[in-house]
Amino acid sequence: MDRSSDSQDHGRIKRQKTEDTDSRYFEEDDDDGGVKLGNFGQAVEVKLKKEDLAKSDRYTEGLDTSVAKISKKKRKREEETDQAPNPYLAHQYEETPKKKELDPRANPYLAHRYEEPAEDEGSYNGYSNGYGRPAKRMNGVSNASSMARFPRHKSTAAMARNAEDGPNNPFSGQLLSSQYFSILKTRRNLPVHQQRDEFLQMYQKSQFLVFVGETGSGKTTQIPQFVLFDDQPHIQRKLVACTQPRRVAAMSVAQRVANEMDVTLGDEVGYNIRFEDVTSQKTILKYMTDGMLLREAMNDNNLNRYSTIILDEAHERTLATDTLMGLLKEVAQRRPDLKIVIMSATLDAQKFQSYFNDAPLLAVPGRTHPVEIFYTPEPERDYVEASLRTVLQIHASEPEGDILLFLTGEEEIEDACRKIRLEADEMIREADAGPLTVYPLYGTLPPSQQQKIFDPAPPPSRNGGRPGRKCIVSTNIAETSLTIDGIVYVVDPGFSKQKIYNPRIRIESLLVSPISKASAQQRAGRAGRTRPGKCFRLYTEAAFKKELIETTYPEVLRSNLSSTVLDLKKLGIDDLVHFDLMDPPAPETMMRALEELNYLACLDDEGNLTALGKLASEFPLDPTLAVMLISSPEFYCSNEVLSLTALLSVPQVFVRPASARKRADEMKALFAHPDGDHLTMLNVYHAFKGPEAQASPKRWCHDHFISLRALQSADNVRQQLKRIMETHEIELVSVPFEDKNYYTNIRRALVAGFFMQVAMKEGNSKTYVTVKDNQNVILHPSTALQTESDWLLYNEFVLTTKNYIRTVTTVKPEWLMDIAPTYYDITTFGKGPVKSALQRTIDKVRRKEATKGGRR
Amino acid sequence: MAKIASPPLGPVEPAPEDLDDYMSMTIAEPPKSAEKETYTQRRIRKQRQADARSRPKSKAELAAAAHAARDDALSTALPSTSKGFQMMAKLGFKPGAALGASSNPNARTEPLNIAVKEDRGGVGMQSEKKRKFREEVEGVEKKQKAEEGGYRERVGREREEKRIEGLFWGAMRLLEGLELPEGGDEVPANKVNLLWRGLVRERQEKERERRARYDLARSLSRSAAYEDPEEDEYDRQALGKEVEEVEDEDEELDEFLGLEGEERLRTLVEYLRQEHRYCFWCKFRYEDEKMEGCPGWKEDDHD
Repeated sequence: MDRSSDSQDHGRIKRQKTEDTDSRYFEEDDDDGGVKLGNFGQAVEVKLKKEDLAKSDRYTEGLDTSVAKISKKKRKREEETDQAPNPYLAHQYEETPKKKELDPRANPYLAHRYEEPAEDEGSYNGYSNGYGRPAKRMNGVSNASSMARFPRHKSTAAMARNAEDGPNNPFSGQLLSSQYFSILKTRRNLPVHQQRDEFLQMYQKSQFLVFVGETGSGKTTQIPQFVLFDDQPHIQRKLVACTQPRRVAAMSVAQRVANEMDVTLGDEVGYNIRFEDVTSQKTILKYMTDGMLLREAMNDNNLNRYSTIILDEAHERTLATDTLMGLLKEVAQRRPDLKIVIMSATLDAQKFQSYFNDAPLLAVPGRTHPVEIFYTPEPERDYVEASLRTVLQIHASEPEGDILLFLTGEEEIEDACRKIRLEADEMIREADAGPLTVYPLYGTLPPSQQQKIFDPAPPPSRNGGRPGRKCIVSTNIAETSLTIDGIVYVVDPGFSKQKIYNPRIRIESLLVSPISKASAQQRAGRAGRTRPGKCFRLYTEAAFKKELIETTYPEVLRSNLSSTVLDLKKLGIDDLVHFDLMDPPAPETMMRALEELNYLACLDDEGNLTALGKLASEFPLDPTLAVMLISSPEFYCSNEVLSLTALLSVPQVFVRPASARKRADEMKALFAHPDGDHLTMLNVYHAFKGPEAQASPKRWCHDHFISLRALQSADNVRQQLKRIMETHEIELVSVPFEDKNYYTNIRRALVAGFFMQVAMKEGNSKTYVTVKDNQNVILHPSTALQTESDWLLYNEFVLTTKNYIRTVTTVKPEWLMDIAPTYYDITTFGKGPVKSALQRTIDKVRRKEATKGGRR
Repeated sequence: MAKIASPPLGPVEPAPEDLDDYMSMTIAEPPKSAEKETYTQRRIRKQRQADARSRPKSKAELAAAAHAARDDALSTALPSTSKGFQMMAKLGFKPGAALGASSNPNARTEPLNIAVKEDRGGVGMQSEKKRKFREEVEGVEKKQKAEEGGYRERVGREREEKRIEGLFWGAMRLLEGLELPEGGDEVPANKVNLLWRGLVRERQEKERERRARYDLARSLSRSAAYEDPEEDEYDRQALGKEVEEVEDEDEELDEFLGLEGEERLRTLVEYLRQEHRYCFWCKFRYEDEKMEGCPGWKEDDHD
């Protein structure tokens, strides 16, 4: 599934890949690799609360039916008992007589284990993760908590429940607040609580456990807490980790769980995402991005700090999740005491089970409203046009309820929004339709505008008029990353923009591709969150069955693996060929990765990490960028290359709104450097840092059609990278701006990293051919390049109906052969224009030297 | 020698380079005959090749070349001579094997293919188009097959129809000669005998066309777009801007002309015999009612 949309964190700053379409070049980038920070933070947080409170919201399709049946019964029972009239008494209702029997306190043989809770309000139970606990605990202050001396890995739900009921916080020892109890009540209404005992039994029995339950079942917030009570990491002086693919989720869930446990965020519960570590010595439960856990594993190959690792949202199959899963399979053999819980959505549970040595499976059904699915009788000629038509038809004829339309990219979405607004206005005038507000939603949208999607639908335009509704036109962000209540109608044209990598022509691009069946189900499920809904699929049922693949290809099959290979090496995995990935990619992908790292001198010919490789892996960057940055002091421009690296790691800095393209282009021309786009970007950055811009950055950016957000995050990234450089004593140097080699140095430094991304001009035409892969490419229209040059270095090879190279800078063939002699070894080239051009260069250099020698 | 997808590009190179290019060019060409080419032939061929190379390519050609190069590269696996392959081999990789655990059924051996979406066709549109195209091709093939057998028959039938049509017009002209009132007074078309009225209408139409063409030729000196604010309906009619109203529809005639050629001819032939004692086939007007000497009313009888 392509969950790359929002800000994922792979622990690495990904090089910016931008989407493209012919002449339109102000485009969004769905895969911004997590540079963006919590724009959704607040929203998600609020939503999560709602989600957790919501009685039901799951989409049961595809669930194991037997499980569904069983739990339905259970649920019914719970619902009956849960009808507590007084919320403050809720916890009492919870204790049905039958359950009381299970309470070990009631068991006379176990009575000695349970002391009466101490009255001492400020006392600690004395246990936390034990990293230098306050002396107080060491002094053996009474074990106040009701969970003291819980039998580790033998506890039951009833014991835990008892401990949860307080009155003291079982972990911090503080008296629990009334807010805690009100949250506790709603927590116990969550589907997962019905199966707490079942979960504990399985968890205790097996090293691996696959847990299936969709968002809203409460798994992300509750399961880690269940684990805490049984695993008791504070006694073990260890931690429980719960990984999330997205940074925002890690942050907001940690906050939520801290509230639920009545502790301060950063104390017992904390989070750790790239550049942000909110944990302390007390922390026993840590939410983190999967990329962060990988980073930790690089320095601690056995993950000894952790007693339990929970991989959440494993079905998203991000690169980091897949790598972690392979790693954990190995670590588990070395560490039999480590417990691993894999949490996933329903669809590929069995695949996870068999991958983890037939691990036991526990499934918690969701509770959703039914969603009626409609297909078109014929395939659509134009899916955009068809989706507009469908939206308007829904608005005209369906009862109240909001609409969610899935499209692929920024331009398409903005265009659709405009058209829907126009048509809707006409419908209001002529057919007395209700008001319709339309909101776009995509990754690069400013946060303030992203917030707007949560605004309620407009009221009827007059008293007694037809109700208004809102329509959200979104990328696949809205598929999983973000939940919008009130959606009743989903329009699904069946496409999304997905990253794809092919090692044969070394292209990594975002392409519009058909979604998978799993994605389609997920999209449909969005319609049934608040009440029964409808999903309009703009393709035939036959096409759904025949044309759509079952599940979206995991990221590991769609990515360049050079960073991953570097990571694996750093994780101590030497047998890359037999590393047990869940979906091993094509061997050619691995070949390319090894080859690239070898040319970059990060790996030697035997595949061992070199000193440079070790250093490069310290940077959360693509190896190409890391190597460029590390070698930049040799070219006397590490300050500039540092800025450039940061700029290449964030979304597009140039803004080009459809309404003011000409003006935007004029403004861009102000910064243009004749030698190309890299230097142009650097000019922007330098101007931004100048006094004029700093006086009022917001205004300056607005006036110059520059994205302030992109520059700010570039600044942020630059800070982080600078710190790493300082730790590793990489010098920060510059030559004076007046030096005639100022820009030449930078261009040469670029070659040190990007020498594998060079294209040569073909004869007199405007086309270029990529070196070694011999692909015909043309310059992207957005380029600022003004010099004619036979050789260009490019940041990106973009695939559309045409092949474009984007973000280019002129280079000289002498530099290529000088800086990357192995790659440009002329004997390795096949006959062709590139070889002859290189030969001419060699001859020229030789002649020059000969004349020089002669003069001497 | 490496296979190339398009003729080599690039600036015209000095002689030794040229030789290389020419070597690779010949691969695409038909095998050379055993005969040695003459100096002139060689010169002309080289000239042509140089021309082809120096001609700037059209955008479409460039796009096609880029596409071809891409598809070619996408379908070619990395060679075992590549550095990456050798590094993998050192790690224990065997050619043709997959990565990962040996028992993993999900392991891929081929990279995912790249499909660039070039239009806004919905899911399933592409295969629907292919299906329709296939069906159409199949349909055309079937039709062709069916027609192949009946070709002679069809041609023969067409020729016969043409002949009968000719005879029909001849018979009409003959009847006109017999029935046209002496003195050549104009008779309104719709008063004329239905059986040869077609001839009259044909002539009228031809005349109208001729006049229209004449008017057009004369009015060409005037800009077609010129609008005289003072001209009225009659002016316009006179200037040929407005076509004269065609005479009333002649349903009777249309119906008659709509009949099969044979049927019309038979009606005419019978009418000639009955009314004018004329045998169309003997080309003779008999004196008496019995038409003695005429073998019969059918064409076949007159062989």
